[in-house]
Amino acid sequence: MIRKYPLDELSSVIGRIMGLLLTEEKVDHAVQLLSRAVKESIPGAIGAGVSILDSQARPVSSGFTDAIVERADALQYQLGQGPCLTAWATQESVLVHDVAADPRWPDWSAAVRDLSIRSVVSAPLIADGQGIGAMKIYAAGPGVFEDSTAALMELFATPAATLLSHIQAAEIPERISEGLQAALYSRDMINRACGVLMERHTLTQDQALQLLMRDTRATHSTLREVSAAILTGVTSAPDRGRSDGFR
Amino acid sequence: MGFDSSEPEQRRRLQAALSAAEISTGDLWLYYFGIGGSVGEYEVEAYLQGLLSLPELQRDLLAMAANELFASQSGQRAPYSDELVTDDPHDGDGSPDAGAP
Repeated sequence: MIRKYPLDELSSVIGRIMGLLLTEEKVDHAVQLLSRAVKESIPGAIGAGVSILDSQARPVSSGFTDAIVERADALQYQLGQGPCLTAWATQESVLVHDVAADPRWPDWSAAVRDLSIRSVVSAPLIADGQGIGAMKIYAAGPGVFEDSTAALMELFATPAATLLSHIQAAEIPERISEGLQAALYSRDMINRACGVLMERHTLTQDQALQLLMRDTRATHSTLREVSAAILTGVTSAPDRGRSDGFR
Repeated sequence: MGFDSSEPEQRRRLQAALSAAEISTGDLWLYYFGIGGSVGEYEVEAYLQGLLSLPELQRDLLAMAANELFASQSGQRAPYSDELVTDDPHDGDGSPDAGAP
């Protein structure tokens, strides 16, 4: 009656995991390309990138084109202030004509003085109505960007947000594979315990499993615990036939 | 293949215990697979809906999987087939196709 082997499920689960992992890789790459496109299509830009949350819910920079982007962003996360965090929180684009003269983020402005960043545009990344991060571009001189730059950034931010909202599912395959690993480990152990009982008492696999289940119920333990005890008995007492307590 | 006389009752009570504990078929199947279950997730789903009959050993493994998943809760238990049938022989698994060669 039942021909379908559980491996069918396994392969589809693994297939799903692989698909998600590939997607994550592709997203990283796509965001990198988007950042480069942003930088190259906006004159005067010295670097572009995005800010998103990592798996520990900390803001990180991703897909940045230049090290200066990573440094300027890290200062924002450290200080808890800056144009990208504002764009992210308010879900509105932020245009900074001159970092040195802008009073909105005094600590950050002071901190990036040495990085020679004077102009910034940061556009929010919005997926399903949720702000999931910001895409930013930096320039060395003041007054490099204008409102039309912000509008252009918003055009880039839309596909970036759609792509990045998928990357957030990256923990799901981890969770799936953890569950799968645990299931495979325990299945393996129970099958080995069955094998020991089959040989020891000349049983079929089903009979061995039934014996394990009866003992599990009688001792109010779990199938895994009973199996582990049998396997431990085998290694510690090679004098087989007595270590499992079954008759 | 018809249903064993106790099967509908066993299935119904498993189903009830699962929904009381809010355990999904996917979670049940993964655990059941992890304790040696040999029937696919699709078939388990069909069994729970009463569309498919499963061998007694597999039904009891599903019950055991559910009960081990419930262990932390004090809700309903899923019954084993020998708790439902009084004249059940000790080795009553009538499932030639579930066994390994």
